[in-house]
Order: sequence, then structure tokens, then C-alpha cells
Amino acid sequence: MNITEESVGGVSVLRTEGRIDSGNASEFEGHLVRAIGDGSVKLVVDMAKLTYISSAGLRALLIAAKKARPTGGRIALSAMAPHIREVFDLSGFSSLFEIHSDEAAAVAAFGAA
Amino acid sequence: MSDQLELDLRADLSELARLAETVDDFADRNGLPPDIAFKLNLCLDELITNIVTYGYADATSAPARAITVRLGCDDATLQVEIEDKAAPFDPFTEVAAPDLTSDVEDRPIGGLGVFLVKQTMDRADYRRDAGRNLVRLTKFLAGRPA
Repeated sequence: MNITEESVGGVSVLRTEGRIDSGNASEFEGHLVRAIGDGSVKLVVDMAKLTYISSAGLRALLIAAKKARPTGGRIALSAMAPHIREVFDLSGFSSLFEIHSDEAAAVAAFGAA
Repeated sequence: MSDQLELDLRADLSELARLAETVDDFADRNGLPPDIAFKLNLCLDELITNIVTYGYADATSAPARAITVRLGCDDATLQVEIEDKAAPFDPFTEVAAPDLTSDVEDRPIGGLGVFLVKQTMDRADYRRDAGRNLVRLTKFLAGRPA
């Protein structure tokens, strides 16, 4: 797993790459929680280069979403490969997150909000 | 075409990366479609994570060859067997079904791994045999050329 962070027009973007499994999900969770910080954040998790995610990665995303919610933070996801989208659909996670076709669309959706 | 593979793992989550490489090689040489290879990796990851985290929670007491994975593939089916020597545990009857519909505040954290295995495989069986937990998964490979 590799994660890079960038601020794009006031939106925090976390670009994930490679595999997120139970061996490194806590590192992923750390990135998410730091990005959320003290709340009211706009966060995009881009998955264009993510090849694999297990339930441990979903768990990290849900923990982050729970932390973001009380202060009005929003987490959007972008560019999921079809097999990753299937995991989100099966898990009922597609209804928990905004999902966009690519990073630019996710960032733009925040701008419009 | 028939291919088999056996791999011993230590009771450590860091073994998952090595397992994934082996599984990807196995999938490649058997011409498994990418979505089947992904599901194979996912199911092994979820079940082995549970074995390492709960079955061998006290890692110092885990035997050297704590977990054995066997993969078998022919034209029609993919077979997976996962064996461990931890306390008896049937993941398919002893894990509650997850909540898939509550909103963010109320959605429970965790409990999805075994559910994903049941959803992505065609058969998931458990038996206890001679001090070992044996999980067997089957995926039918539809539409493969004979």
C-alpha cells in the first residue's frame, strides 16, 4: 500500500495505491483520521490505483466516517475498480459513501456543495 | 488441466502479503479471470485474518506451521482448503450476519469478513477433524473452455 496526500482547492485528497488488507489497514486508518483532524473536512479517497481492499479497509473507512460525521465532515470515494465496487455493494458500504467516477468529479462535487 | 498448491503460514498478519503473491502466481498460471483471483485473495485474507486475530490471539502459543492453505484448480472448479490448529471454531455458523443498511452513526464496525466469503464463494464448509479446523471453499468456474 502507498498513500499520497494533496490538497486540491480546499479538498483533501488521499490517493491510495496497491493493497489494503488487515496487515496495513491500521496505517490506512491513521491517514484517514489525520486527514479528518478536528472536523469540517472535505476528504476524497481516490482508488484509481487501488488493486485490493478487504473488510479491514472497509472498517477503517467506517471508523473515519463516524469520526467525521458529528462535525459535518464528508468523505467521498472515487475511481473504484469494478471488483472493489462489488465489495462495497455486497457490504452495504455503497450507501454509506458518495462514490464518484474519478477524482476530479469527487472534488467538483464538494465544490458544488 | 489440474493444478495444486500447498503453503504453510505463520500466525502473523504480515504473512498475507506473501500469500497474495503466491495466490496471484497460482491464478496466473491457471488462467483464472481477474475477478476470481481477487475473490480468492479476499476469502483467504478474511478467514486467515480471523484465525490469526482470534484463533491464535496468543501468538506465542501458535505452532510453527500454524495455518496451511491448499489450492486446487481444474477446468470446472476452484477448491480452497484452510487448516489451522487453534480452538474449534466454525466461522460459517458462529458469526452473526452483519447489518448492511444502518446509516453511518448506527452501522456496527466489523463483522463483514465471513459474510463476504459466503457471498463470493459457491460453497463454504467447515469441519473439525483430529484437532484441526478445516474450512473448504468451492468456486465454480463457469464458462471455462474444457
